[in-house]
Amino acid sequence: MAKDLQLVGFRIGKETYGVPIRLVHEIVRLPEITAVPDSPDYIEGVINLRGKIISIVDLRKRFGEARIEASRKNRILVAEIEGKMVGLIVDAASEVIRVPESEIEAPPEVFEESEIKYVTGLGKLNGRLVILIDLTKILQKGELRRIGDMAPALA
Amino acid sequence: MSFFSEERSSELKDLFFESAAELLQALNDEGLKLEQRGADAEVVRETRRTVHTLKGDSAACGFDELSTLAHELEDVLTPEIAARSNGKLAEIVLQAADVFSAMLAAYRAGEPIPAPVSLRDQIRELVDKPQAKNIVPYKLSGHFAWTEYEQMAIQQALLRGQIVYNIALAIDPGCPMKAAAVQLVRNVLAETGEVLAVFPDSSVPPEQLDVIEFCLSSSQPAELIARKCRVPSLISDVLVEPHAAALAEQPRNHIVPTAESSDDSDDVLGLADTAADGGGIDASSAAQNSATGKLRVDADRIDAVLNLVGELVIGKSMLTQTLSEFEKRFVKDPLRVKFADAMAFQARVLNDLQKSVMKIRMVPVEQVFRRLPRIVRDVAKSCEKEVVLQISGEETDLDKTILDALSEPLSHLVRNAVDHGLETPAERLAAGKAAQGTIRLNAYHQGNQIVIECADDGRGIDSYKLVSKAVQNGIVSHDEAERLSDTEALQLVFHPGLSTAEQVTAISGRGVGMDVVRAVLDKLKGTVSIDSKPGIGTTFLLKVPLTLAIIKALMFRVADRLYAIPLASVVEIARASGSEVHRVDQHEVMQLREQVLTLIRLRQLVKPGPMLASKKIFVVVITLGDRKFGLIVDQLVGEEELVIKALDDDFVSTDLVSGASILGDGSVVLILNLSAVIARLGKAPELTEAVTA
Repeated sequence: MAKDLQLVGFRIGKETYGVPIRLVHEIVRLPEITAVPDSPDYIEGVINLRGKIISIVDLRKRFGEARIEASRKNRILVAEIEGKMVGLIVDAASEVIRVPESEIEAPPEVFEESEIKYVTGLGKLNGRLVILIDLTKILQKGELRRIGDMAPALA
Repeated sequence: MSFFSEERSSELKDLFFESAAELLQALNDEGLKLEQRGADAEVVRETRRTVHTLKGDSAACGFDELSTLAHELEDVLTPEIAARSNGKLAEIVLQAADVFSAMLAAYRAGEPIPAPVSLRDQIRELVDKPQAKNIVPYKLSGHFAWTEYEQMAIQQALLRGQIVYNIALAIDPGCPMKAAAVQLVRNVLAETGEVLAVFPDSSVPPEQLDVIEFCLSSSQPAELIARKCRVPSLISDVLVEPHAAALAEQPRNHIVPTAESSDDSDDVLGLADTAADGGGIDASSAAQNSATGKLRVDADRIDAVLNLVGELVIGKSMLTQTLSEFEKRFVKDPLRVKFADAMAFQARVLNDLQKSVMKIRMVPVEQVFRRLPRIVRDVAKSCEKEVVLQISGEETDLDKTILDALSEPLSHLVRNAVDHGLETPAERLAAGKAAQGTIRLNAYHQGNQIVIECADDGRGIDSYKLVSKAVQNGIVSHDEAERLSDTEALQLVFHPGLSTAEQVTAISGRGVGMDVVRAVLDKLKGTVSIDSKPGIGTTFLLKVPLTLAIIKALMFRVADRLYAIPLASVVEIARASGSEVHRVDQHEVMQLREQVLTLIRLRQLVKPGPMLASKKIFVVVITLGDRKFGLIVDQLVGEEELVIKALDDDFVSTDLVSGASILGDGSVVLILNLSAVIARLGKAPELTEAVTA
């Protein structure tokens, strides 16, 4: 029997995304967020998570989502990326999705050629499409480059 | 040495590196002393003891190159050679300290060991008979100075008609696990008879032992005991002699050579060595005793405790907040008083706890000051200046992390003072000063800060030259230059890429510049300021907080956001009306009593762009270095003790914020880095017809 992949599924806009469950520490409601001056647009600020200060990235802004609505369903995914805890704001998140490995396809060509290399695969589940993403790529390379881009503008 | 594991070995080496660093510092100190009073036999002996310990320790770790060199050096460290070396010996000792340090670095990094050829040649020149000796195991003499209590036990044993032996065992310098060796011979002796006394006692770490002495009452013959004690590769030499009260005070040199011991014919010298070594053990054990009760603890462990204390402080403010809500809700409840009492008690204990933990991290400034005499000497020598270094306040305590960070800036300041600050002896005489320049280092407490002063009585900084150079390099414009006050002009010293020396010398041209000094101080939430009078001298003042972990802060709101700044930098808080704010050039200023303050609108942090002036404003007056600024804030919140947490990830890191803290209600407050904020906002309020409106 093929192994199932366990994913935390979350929604941004209409799409469902999935990240491996072992990367996600917890899912919390949006607390009060303290903005940090001088930080890029998609950085919402920092929060206090039981005595630890962690940075909050708005994944919706990161994905270029046009309409961002504050909703009671909004959640923060607290994930560990390269040893550091980061909070990711998503529209909604609640479910754990099991996708059999056989139902996962490699990302279509169009993704690979573009800048967006963070899509690692597409999972099919009862007719729904789950986009598997690599958080490290989204937050490390991408962010760093973006911050680099912003530096001249700030100077 | 198969019996001792890899892990133990690396632990041993770590210990060695740590103690070797201290030994090298001592060697540096002694080298300088030798230079000042070369013929002093006591200093020579002291140096010799240091080298001796280094030799033994390094041999134990298998660092043969180092131990061989140390051994060669040890050979020339005699009062006779010192007397006829004409200062050469001091030079060699100082050089050796450098070579040893390079060797240690190489061992640590696992790199090839530098060959100390020139040093070795110089050492050989000093020795009469230049043949190099092999490493000789420790020669032995017992000094058997038992304590009164032990003497009593011995007397009683003698009265009982038992035979009492004084036994001295030299532990093989090549023995990697001295603790085990000591335990082993203890066991052996316990089997043969009753151990009445041991010296040194167990408070001395076995790694630092060369010789251990026992007093044993036993019915067995001396030869048998000696044979039993001779454990190959652990014990290199054994001395067993019958105890006699009359003999106890006299040094005896009854050596029972072991098979490995290479007791060659020039043993007369060997015996002289022995006497010196005996004294050495005495003195070092005295030093050991004074160090008893000290504990080497990993800094991480202390930090873990400090962190927990930090959490407690947050917990305390949570409680305080809840309590005040409770008091509002149940104004008449008698429980209020009880709560308040308990809170006050808890707060007091917590305060003490915090201070105690902080104290653990504190080390005397001396640790850094000690390195400076050597630097002064070297620089003075290379630029042919005569310098006295006066150090005071070295007992002032400072957080270890801060002190370590200050080490480089301080060396730089001192180097600079000798190289640029002081004049040559000829110039000094011509100026009517003593030929010898003075550099003063002082450290003292000032409120919640530590001040370190580095002053020279040299030529002072020529602010005119400084400014013209700054104009030349395009750092300030001509107009700006004209308007600079003397104090402001001196600040230019800290600008990157500006050196007042006409030519860059090897000494101050290297390493950190004054801008780096300032950068380090900024990072430490400290300040550096400068005072200089032409012809009289220059003084640098470094001010750093006592600790980095917890600060007293002033909190305020700007555009509904909460920020904090260190209370130490706040001078006063003033209220002003919008009409008191004037625009001069690019700055907004206001007059506060006699002073004109440059104003900073913190709102710019949140929303850059033009802004409306409100009728009444709060101005928080702060000092940064020598300058004062007024920060315009919307609303003052109050003072609080904040436990600093770093914002160290890549996403939110910005130089404008030096850290964050969590308040009692769980919200996060950002602590502003004032120097960065002022650098960013000090010159660019893009307003504003609004202000005049």
